[in-house]
Amino acid sequence: MVSDPGAAGTARTQRLNEPRPALVDAGFDGIPQQVDRHAVALVREEWHVVDRWWTEEPVHRRYFDTVLEDGRCAVVFYDEAGRGWFTQSA
Amino acid sequence: MLACVLIPGFELRAALRGKTRLLLQPAALAPMSGQKQEIGAVTAAAEAAGVRPGMLLGEALATCPSLRLVEQDPAETEQAWEEIVRRLEGEGFAVEPAEPGSLYVETRTVERLYGGVEGVLRRALAAVGSGWDARAGAADRKFAALAAASVARAGQILVVASEETPTFLAPLPLGVLPLERERHDELETLGLRTVGHLAALPGAAVAERLGPEGRQAWHLARGGDRRRVRPRRPAAEIAEYLEFPEPVDNELTLRRALHALVERALGRPERGGRGVRKVALQARLIGGGSWRRTLTLREPAAERDRLRVALGPKLIELPAPVTSIGLELVELAEWTGRQLELVKPEGREIESRLKEGLRQVRSSAGAGAVSTVVEVAPWSRIPEQRALLVPRD
Repeated sequence: MVSDPGAAGTARTQRLNEPRPALVDAGFDGIPQQVDRHAVALVREEWHVVDRWWTEEPVHRRYFDTVLEDGRCAVVFYDEAGRGWFTQSA
Repeated sequence: MLACVLIPGFELRAALRGKTRLLLQPAALAPMSGQKQEIGAVTAAAEAAGVRPGMLLGEALATCPSLRLVEQDPAETEQAWEEIVRRLEGEGFAVEPAEPGSLYVETRTVERLYGGVEGVLRRALAAVGSGWDARAGAADRKFAALAAASVARAGQILVVASEETPTFLAPLPLGVLPLERERHDELETLGLRTVGHLAALPGAAVAERLGPEGRQAWHLARGGDRRRVRPRRPAAEIAEYLEFPEPVDNELTLRRALHALVERALGRPERGGRGVRKVALQARLIGGGSWRRTLTLREPAAERDRLRVALGPKLIELPAPVTSIGLELVELAEWTGRQLELVKPEGREIESRLKEGLRQVRSSAGAGAVSTVVEVAPWSRIPEQRALLVPRD
């Protein structure tokens, strides 16, 4: 495909706050120990989201609200459908 | 006339500089870590084995088990591309680089110097160098020039006369148009196979069926706009590098290195007090690949803290430990002072400034750069389903 020489990109509607892949090291219990190469100092909250189970694209996620050692907060989730770890503002 | 010089698979060729043996073997550009696992450009041997650019990594390896994956090297790509653009500028061409591997030049200004359009194209290909398998096309419109260069073979030039543009474009496959794969498939399902088939349809019907993207493709299928070449400003050539004795992935160390680089780059006498408009941060990764991020500042800045704040978050995107890090001041402002305001703007003045700001954002970042957040399901338990980002164009 040849890219359009003039247009920088075509405008399109997109979802806000789409999950982004995250580099997470988890312990045997599935709790994150490192997020994007930063050690997790504290897991503030953990919750599950199970939704759309009646569709062909069910959602089953295990969320963790973490505080990293450098002081930043990060919300990550493990997609139980096996697609790996993601980060997202909850 | 406008000329387009094209080097297909430029990133792969740049990554394989000095490893020419691999160019003859089945090889493909590996996906970047953390991104979609699709391969990039492929060599001719890989293509002969059935591997196509954009294939999923697993599928490509299953198709051709002997496929060699080449690490992406954005810094090398940038450097090789800069060398080519400078060689062309050295020959007197006003160059508008579109993306690495594709650029436009205005032939009119140098036609008399190099003996006509064909002479200009030959000179341009000679300036690029024979090792890149570049090809060139010329036409009276940018898209037609790009399409001409796309169908030319390595080292070949193709000139499309103004009156021949529609007949030249008509038999080309739809793949030359910048369309998403789904849109492309949709057109094929409708029985459209060539650019001419699309161009023959009524524009309003295409826009209704395929949206703005389809309308843009239809417009290009009919030749596109008569845009002029907008030559780039010459690069500033101020760069500072820092080598680490051992690979580093500690953010604090990287931030300190960035501070030192900002200090050194801003202290260079060539800057002459001018503010920085565009800056690039690059690093060599432990695996041998490289990483590069370019940042255009909202307004030119020469303050250390502003540059550090703007560049700091980029360090988090580093995919692996780094062995060296570099900072390049890509573009400088042309003035040294900064005009401050005596009276604070209010009312209509603020509104018109906001509009002008939005216009500038749109023109520099393209369609979709300005969007509105529209809540669609704020009650949803799935965060990404709560709101949409709708372009305001």
